Amino acid sequence: MTGKFRIVTILLLLMLLPVLNGCEAGFREVNSKGEEVVKIRIVTYDNGNVPLDGREVIAAANEISKEKIGVLADLEFQSAEKINLMMASGEYYDMVFTSSWINKFDKNASMGLYYDITDVVKEETPALYASIGEYWECAKIRDRIYGVPVLKDMGSENLFRLNADYFEGEKGMEIPEEMTFEDIEPYLKAYKEDHPNEYPLAMDKGGMAGYLNFLERVVGGIVVIPYDQDSDKPSAVPFWECDKLVDRYRLLHKWYKAGYIHPDAATIDSTNDNKSIPVRAGVAWRGYQGYSNPDDWGFHVKTSVYDGPYLSRTSEQGAIFSICAACDEEHVKACLKYLELLSTDRRFRDILGYGIEGKHFEYLPNGTILRLKAGQDGYNTKLFQTGSVVNASVESASRTFLADPDQWEKVFEGYEKDGIYSKTKGFAYDPTPEEDIITAVSAIYDDYATELRTGTSDPDKVIPEIKKRMKAAGIDELLEDINDQLDEWVK
Amino acid sequence: MGFKKDMIELTLLAVPAMIWFILFDYLPMFGVAFAFKQFTPRPGQPLFKNLFVNSPWVGLNNFNFLLRSSDMPKIMFNTLFYNIIFLVAGIVIPVFLAICLTEVHGKAFSGFVQMIMLLPYFLSWVIVGYCLYGFLATDEGQINHILRFFGKSAVQWYRSPGYWRAILIATGIWKGTGYSMIIYMCSITAIDRSLYESATLDGAGFSDRVKYITLPQLKTTVTTLFILNIGSILNSDFGLFYQVPMDSNSLQPVTQTLDVYVYKALMQQANFSYSAAASFLQSAVGCILLVISNIVVNRLNRDEG
Repeated sequence: MTGKFRIVTILLLLMLLPVLNGCEAGFREVNSKGEEVVKIRIVTYDNGNVPLDGREVIAAANEISKEKIGVLADLEFQSAEKINLMMASGEYYDMVFTSSWINKFDKNASMGLYYDITDVVKEETPALYASIGEYWECAKIRDRIYGVPVLKDMGSENLFRLNADYFEGEKGMEIPEEMTFEDIEPYLKAYKEDHPNEYPLAMDKGGMAGYLNFLERVVGGIVVIPYDQDSDKPSAVPFWECDKLVDRYRLLHKWYKAGYIHPDAATIDSTNDNKSIPVRAGVAWRGYQGYSNPDDWGFHVKTSVYDGPYLSRTSEQGAIFSICAACDEEHVKACLKYLELLSTDRRFRDILGYGIEGKHFEYLPNGTILRLKAGQDGYNTKLFQTGSVVNASVESASRTFLADPDQWEKVFEGYEKDGIYSKTKGFAYDPTPEEDIITAVSAIYDDYATELRTGTSDPDKVIPEIKKRMKAAGIDELLEDINDQLDEWVK
Repeated sequence: MGFKKDMIELTLLAVPAMIWFILFDYLPMFGVAFAFKQFTPRPGQPLFKNLFVNSPWVGLNNFNFLLRSSDMPKIMFNTLFYNIIFLVAGIVIPVFLAICLTEVHGKAFSGFVQMIMLLPYFLSWVIVGYCLYGFLATDEGQINHILRFFGKSAVQWYRSPGYWRAILIATGIWKGTGYSMIIYMCSITAIDRSLYESATLDGAGFSDRVKYITLPQLKTTVTTLFILNIGSILNSDFGLFYQVPMDSNSLQPVTQTLDVYVYKALMQQANFSYSAAASFLQSAVGCILLVISNIVVNRLNRDEG
């Protein structure tokens, strides 16, 4: 009897232990300059996998940031779901990855989750403020700045990636630098004729990479603002009123029926393992080499741009770092200084971007970098996950296949020259009043989207059905609200 | 009734379970408030303050998104349709198999069959989904290979909703039967053997023994499991209806159950209040049905329930 009591008491105490354990004494470190060191917690998007050597890399970066600016960073890679949960539960962080596609910036900033850095960024970190320039616009809500945009490929260029060995070598077809979406058809046809049992256009259930990029998306792919609207007064329309999009869906369906697309495309997760596919789509920028390494594919890849560069609020919000509204001034300054160091100190930037020199990557004579085996396995993050892309060294595909170290200047020149700008750049829709309608139409859209974007279903059959269901769910009310807000913004 | 020593011991035995229920079932009940609040968290503040102080009450507004969908009748139909079939099939088939298996005299064979039947229960739906895909894929699937071998044209299974009610029911039963069968087999083994012996002496055949001894003796187990299952009548096996059909758009008319709909609707939004409203509805309906069925069973039979 007493024995049992004892066991129960011990069990109860064991359960209480973690609760009692919560106290931790705080002490402040000082760096060699005598500055007090501030610790910040940065949470970034893991892009599908957490880098194995993350801790080692951040420790190496901390040694530098501690001396230079007196900041120690704790960098966490988290999934989109985890970040959403973190934002919704009010968990404390100092700086978080936010964007138009993961952890929605417009929604969170309108809700007041982020710190208003409009004044402090100008005073504390003038170099950072100057470096972003016109792109501050995409991080503004009602003319106040709520985040620091990551300078990267700000516009989206969609391209086809073709097997050059086959099309140019075997078939004698020329692959131009630019083409239209429709122009790819003869290539698909040629391959299909030679390989009747294969499907030449890579397609999985996500659709072609960046297939919605030529639209300003207000609510997913459901309510959009086309770039090329004729009238001066922009208006948001449901996607079925955008002819260009519907025509593309029709074309995809034609290709599907012709056997250029896998019959089960709508249920396939990824086609990356099938290296024989000769035509893939991609989203990148001029000079990007990530698609072209012959070692990865077993053949030479040539890319051909078919869309863009499109610049919109959506595209410019590809990656933003925002500071938690609950931060005190000291931590806000520390976060901004950290971002400033990332945007101005290239060696420091390369550590967070590529890992430890000599272990994860090495510098090539032309100023670009090459990821080593350990880097590809242990720290293969994308640059946008960890801060300024433009300030990092450019990555080459191999020792012989060198990238242009100054590619970014050309990319940004290209935006100025050929950029197609959205007329409503800067407009942010506040979805809170119509959230129940958005939820309902999103569920309806989800019933059709995969088969539309993979070409599986016939848009002329399916779209009337979607239209009917969305009208019943109140999409007209939603459109009215969006256009009211848009009119207000135009004024 | 006096408070006896053995009662203290029994209570102590129940303490771990009670702690479990209090910590993980009763304490989190405050979360019900999510369903009636417009959850607007402020960063850096504790969850309780965010939920009870910072978020305004919105009454039943969070349930609107469920009513917004004109498909709600269809979704409800699907949910109830599959659940009622599984409720009935989940009793009839395992009981039938359990009776058959207890009549098998070879111990080794009976054990082997049990093991084979139980195996699918331990597979996750994702794996089952991909195995099924191996059979049903349009291009490389086994079934289409066979169809082509006999000169028939291939079927695009993942685009033909007509077949899927049957496929889903079959898969669901295939996966769950082994487990419930074990429960019924245990109850059958617990039946007093002398009942069967005396029945046989009196000239009762196999069917008589089943009808007059096994089935009446199983009634308690069946009722208990039935009442437990009816509590989750609006819940559906998400894996079965989302993973197994590979979230195929064309199959949506027959695969959309309440859970699948809520997942699809809220996947993008991360709106806690809406998801809380949906699961509150499921639990509330389940709870009411559970209480009703318990009363009905009690009325029908004073000993059980």
